Amino acid sequence: MIMRWWGNLKQRCATCSRVTLGAGVLLLTLVLGAVMLTAGAAGLAWTNTEKFCISCHEMKDNVYAEFKGTIHDVNRSGVRAICSNCHVPHEPIPLIKRKMRATLELVGHMRGVIDTKEKFEAHRYELAKRVWTRMKETDSLECRNCHHEDAMDSDKQSEKAKARHAKAKTEGKTCIDCHFGIAHKEPDGPGPQELKVVKQ
Amino acid sequence: MKQLAMLLAGALLSAPMVAAAQDAGAAEALLKKSGCMKCHSVSAKKDGPSFKETAAKYKGKPDAEAALVKHLTTNPKIKVDGKEELHESLKTKNEAEIRNVIQYILTR
Repeated sequence: MIMRWWGNLKQRCATCSRVTLGAGVLLLTLVLGAVMLTAGAAGLAWTNTEKFCISCHEMKDNVYAEFKGTIHDVNRSGVRAICSNCHVPHEPIPLIKRKMRATLELVGHMRGVIDTKEKFEAHRYELAKRVWTRMKETDSLECRNCHHEDAMDSDKQSEKAKARHAKAKTEGKTCIDCHFGIAHKEPDGPGPQELKVVKQ
Repeated sequence: MKQLAMLLAGALLSAPMVAAAQDAGAAEALLKKSGCMKCHSVSAKKDGPSFKETAAKYKGKPDAEAALVKHLTTNPKIKVDGKEELHESLKTKNEAEIRNVIQYILTR
């Protein structure tokens, strides 16, 4: 097929040399590739914005409304964590995998699975469990993108926090095991510590 | 006398209604502000008992509210992983706010 296309191209441009034609095709491919790559990256970046996340009322009226006013939304230093900071991996391959899965979630949006407060509450535990499971599998990767264990000054932590963190380390716990329900309401049911998940 | 009896009966009847008219949002905010959620949760496992466990423990006990007021305002000694430490108090002196939190816990 490519050979036939190449033959047609040569016939149409009889005066062009094979090298000129080849260089032209290569340049066009590169330009098209660059445009598609940039558009793809821009598209991915756009779907990571807060504005995009709350364009669905399911997010805006429920989880986003709960997030407002929490420590990750407003705090003394003004550094915010938006939806994608905690719910989308930062590394390219896991990021694309997560985005593909999120595309499937659009089916749920179109079917109206959580389009009312009641429906959302009925699914709250299942949705939270999905996030907790992923965070346990990845050793709370999205927490650790900003909270670096090596940079934590234990002298600036309370005695209780120091003791709890040391205990968590010896027991192989991860951030989400204790730090859940901080940006959204805690669902009714067993918490992350009660979930059996194997770390990746 | 009859009037007084009616008044007392009315007060007794309205007591559960007062308890039910709790402000869950205010209770959750004060619990968060006081750092309670670091060790406790509504229903999940953490170092401290969940509010559901506490509600079950005190169910039907007339001294429940008094016991919790003491627990949440006087920094009693507690044991976490076999080590003694002082339980934190609610970050308020307002009695109505304290009772609202206690009713929130007892009705989980």
